[in-house]
Amino acid sequence: VLPLRRRAGAPSGSPPPISGARIQKLCDRVASSTLLDDRRDAVRALKSLSKKYRLEVGIQAMEHLIHVLQTDRSDSEIIGYALDTLYNIISNDLEEEEQEENVPKQADDLGSQFTEIFIKQQENVTLLLTLVEEFDFHVRWPGVKLLTSLLKQQGPQVQQIILVSPMGVSRLMDLLADSREVIRNDGVLLLQQLTKSNAAIQKIVAFENAFERLLDIITEEGNSDGGIVVEDCLLLLQNLLKNNNSNQNFFKEGSYIQRMKPWFEVGDDNCGWSAQKVTNLHLMLQLVRVLVSPTNPPGATSSCQKAMFHCGLLQQLCTILMATGVPADILTETINTVSEVIRGCQINQDYFASVNAPSNPPRPAIVVLLMSMVNERQPFVLRCAVLYCFQCFLYKNQKGQGEIVSTLLPSTIDATGNSVSAGQLLCGGLFSTDSLSNWCAAVALAHALQENAPLKEQLLRVQLATSIGNPPVSLLQQCTNILSQGSKVQTRVGLLMLLCTWLSNCSIAVTHFLHNPANIPFLTGQIAENLGEEEQLVQGLCALLLGISIYYNDNSLENYRKEKLKQLIEKRIGRENFIEKLGFISKHELYSRAAQKPQPSFSSPDHMMFDHEFTKLVKELEGVISKAIYKSSEEDKKEEEVKKTLEQHDNIVTHYKKVIREQDQELEELKQQINTLKSQNEQLQTTVTQQVSQIQQHKDQYNLLKVQLGKDNQHHNSHGETFQMNGIQLEEVSKLKEELEEWKNKHELLQGQLREKESVIEKLKSSQLEMGTTEQSSQAGKSGGSELNNELQKELETLRSQIQLQSTEISKLQSENQKLQLLNAAADPVLGDCGATTAKNSEVEGRLLQEVKELKNEVKALSEEKASLKQHLDSSNSTVAILQDQKSKLQQEVAESKKEQDDLLVLLADQDQKLSALKNKLKELGEPVEDEDDIESGDQADEDEDGEEEEQD
Amino acid sequence: IKIIVIGKWRLGVGKSCLLLQFTDKRFQPVHDLTIGVEFGARMITIDGKQIKLQIWDTAGQESFRSITRSYYRGAAGALLVYDITRRDTFNHLTTWLEDARQHSNSNMVIMLIGNKSDLESRREVKKEEGEAFAREHGLIFMETSAKTASNVEEAFINTAKEIYEKIQEGVFDINNEANGIKIGPQHAATNATLAGSQGGQQAGGGCC
Repeated sequence: VLPLRRRAGAPSGSPPPISGARIQKLCDRVASSTLLDDRRDAVRALKSLSKKYRLEVGIQAMEHLIHVLQTDRSDSEIIGYALDTLYNIISNDLEEEEQEENVPKQADDLGSQFTEIFIKQQENVTLLLTLVEEFDFHVRWPGVKLLTSLLKQQGPQVQQIILVSPMGVSRLMDLLADSREVIRNDGVLLLQQLTKSNAAIQKIVAFENAFERLLDIITEEGNSDGGIVVEDCLLLLQNLLKNNNSNQNFFKEGSYIQRMKPWFEVGDDNCGWSAQKVTNLHLMLQLVRVLVSPTNPPGATSSCQKAMFHCGLLQQLCTILMATGVPADILTETINTVSEVIRGCQINQDYFASVNAPSNPPRPAIVVLLMSMVNERQPFVLRCAVLYCFQCFLYKNQKGQGEIVSTLLPSTIDATGNSVSAGQLLCGGLFSTDSLSNWCAAVALAHALQENAPLKEQLLRVQLATSIGNPPVSLLQQCTNILSQGSKVQTRVGLLMLLCTWLSNCSIAVTHFLHNPANIPFLTGQIAENLGEEEQLVQGLCALLLGISIYYNDNSLENYRKEKLKQLIEKRIGRENFIEKLGFISKHELYSRAAQKPQPSFSSPDHMMFDHEFTKLVKELEGVISKAIYKSSEEDKKEEEVKKTLEQHDNIVTHYKKVIREQDQELEELKQQINTLKSQNEQLQTTVTQQVSQIQQHKDQYNLLKVQLGKDNQHHNSHGETFQMNGIQLEEVSKLKEELEEWKNKHELLQGQLREKESVIEKLKSSQLEMGTTEQSSQAGKSGGSELNNELQKELETLRSQIQLQSTEISKLQSENQKLQLLNAAADPVLGDCGATTAKNSEVEGRLLQEVKELKNEVKALSEEKASLKQHLDSSNSTVAILQDQKSKLQQEVAESKKEQDDLLVLLADQDQKLSALKNKLKELGEPVEDEDDIESGDQADEDEDGEEEEQD
Repeated sequence: IKIIVIGKWRLGVGKSCLLLQFTDKRFQPVHDLTIGVEFGARMITIDGKQIKLQIWDTAGQESFRSITRSYYRGAAGALLVYDITRRDTFNHLTTWLEDARQHSNSNMVIMLIGNKSDLESRREVKKEEGEAFAREHGLIFMETSAKTASNVEEAFINTAKEIYEKIQEGVFDINNEANGIKIGPQHAATNATLAGSQGGQQAGGGCC
């Protein structure tokens, strides 16, 4: 505040001295009066003085006014006066209007210094933000204006304060929704100031749907036909989008590009190109350019370019391009806009190549534009725009380049001359008398060759018919001819740039160039001469061209080998001198300007010297050429060798590249195969899982079968056991037979003995009889036999039941076998379907089949065994029957012999009685009888032995 | 249907990586600090309807906090992100949540995201803790990895679904743009704004 006070002591204006005291008085009233009305009047008075006595009111009243804002918020009237007064103090708008030439610098200072004082207290700005929220028109409107002024004076500081105050930016965005147009429009102006070069605020404003709102306003106002509001909205949009990638992305993603298209639906009726409309349209075009600027990230630009093509914006712009009656300045900007919309974007470039002018016959737009470029009467900026458009069309567009060059080639030139081709126009421009046309055509042609070696070679074929009777001259030759004729600097610079572009990276073109013996002497002459300043540029370019002729020289011309040319420089120019001349190019003031951006824009036609792409080439070559010049011939040779090896390497590399490419292809194919295989595999896997589950089912069944088989086997075992038992039985049977045999023998023996005894008895005659204990033995034999028989029968019974069981189980097995086979058969077709699993499945199937077969075999074996067992049983049954027969016979025999024995016993008893009677008689007679007793006892011992034997059996 | 998703979250917890993974399907281990906010967008399909998610990725640094606040209003959903390998980022959630609740529409859908779930060995915040916090504050919870893309899609899509459901229920007034929902150009479509929010804290730089 102090410096201002000092200045107030020596007022620069001429206010009457009374006013100072009057203002002071008013301020005191504002500060001390307890009556609102009184304060209000005082503020109103200050307001009326504030325009005339801006400085004084500002110095003395500002703090009081701020105080009013803080304390008298309830009264909108006084707030309104206070805001108005502050606005008058701070804003320079009025002064600018009134005294346009009168010391605007001082006024500037005043506004910004008062602003500084005001914003020193951040709360003041915050307070203002809350006042702006007030709906009352008397508060809101001056509030908006004051805030706008503050932003104009001290943008960055005020922006920072608003940014950190809660929802500051958002609250200001609400102004756009105000139904009162004045406030809405001033809101737009406020936001314009607010968003100036502050990306953070720009993003928040965009986030708060600014695009939507602004585009709505523009539509409501009638697009380009709208008033200054549209202009303000467009300026605000530009603020939001320029160099703000995030917002550009949001704009594109929010599909707002599509909403720009109606802007350019300009009627063809030529009526009403008001100044405002021109301004609006101009800003609209610039907004499009902001989105596709070459300085944006490549990805962002290309996605916007595509969106503009897809929504028809590019097509709409091309319509304006070809329309009649469009003001030149709009046309120029439209051309520039189209240029940037198509630059480096193939589909857009292709579309552009297909655009025709609505003339009769229709001509390609490119041709129509080129006609303007080489037309002296067209405005300079328009011609520059066309050149830019042509450059953008060719940028990274080999197809387009090829098409342009092909219109120059002998085979495609339209001999009838009915229609003018792009190539013809370029040649015409190249050799016209207008240096600007020369320059533009040369640069345009250079762009057709940019980074396209094959076309550089193609262009060597171009022949020109100069004058009737003379042989045709090659285009290259013609260029050098004109160069040597000493035309305007602009023409020569243009041609030299073309030649440099043409020869660089193309040894054949260098050879062609050197083939003309006039060229090298001309260049050395140009460089060596000590010419004026304006010739320096040409000298530099000549040095560059000579350097290129050395650097890209393949030594195919004996007289112009690298070393020879270098020796020439050494002798005729001097190395240092040569390098110095070469350096002229990049030191040139116009060079750095051209290097900045692709668009050719020159303040005057005289400044049209450098092309952006050419500056890139110079940057690339300057260093390498200097190096090449300083190199000794030995080094050169070495380099030559290195180059050769490099070439070899290159060959190898290209070879490998080819291989890699092939492999890549293969890889791609393989990948595809893998993909198809993968999907197949997936399918197969699902079938496999299906089949696995089926197999699992089969397995389960198999296991079940196995278990049953196990049971079966057990049965088999039991079969075996029975077989064994049968074996035992057989043994027993044989034993029995043996025994029977023995028995028979014994029986016979006994019978023999009996017979003997009978004979003895008969011999004894006196009832001496032998007693056989055969009874015992035969009885034992009998019981033994029956026991065996019983057992046998039992065993037979069990065997039979087992056999029955087995046969039922076998039949079960067989049915299950059948089931399994059926299942297998059902599984078969599925198995057949899937290649990969078939093997597995068939394996499993095979195994199953094998197992089934085995099972069958086993079953067969079992049934065989069963059959044999049956046979066996039959045979043993028959044996048993025989045995039973024999047994019964034996029993009969035994019974008979028993009977006999009984008889014999009776006989014996009789005889015993007789014997004892006889003995007694004999004793009575006195005869000894011991002998007979002895015999008897001997017999008995024999019998005992037999009994023992029987028992053992 | 267009849904605008505004995601704002904090430094170093991987917000920008999450967004990049979601919009571009790639992971960038080293990422510049987010300055202010960055915009990203992607189309998704919910219920057979095309929905455009618009996502604002916010800087996590404290100095950008006031800027970040400006984005709460007008967002339909928020992703509150912390780093499971750094407890301090988890501890700061409350502050951020309060901030979000205070400045946003009360219907804003907030999803809590524990990021860097691929760094299990360095985990400092248990999954259960995240779940408990979410339960306590009525948030949806998920652990994600921007590096492996695990759950990243789900995080955004689930948030969008939640908003979509709220739209269907009529909770969001689709005619009020301040809700962050906007109907698409086709008349039948609805238009939703979804706001993302942030978690984590101010300290430390590091990758994403």
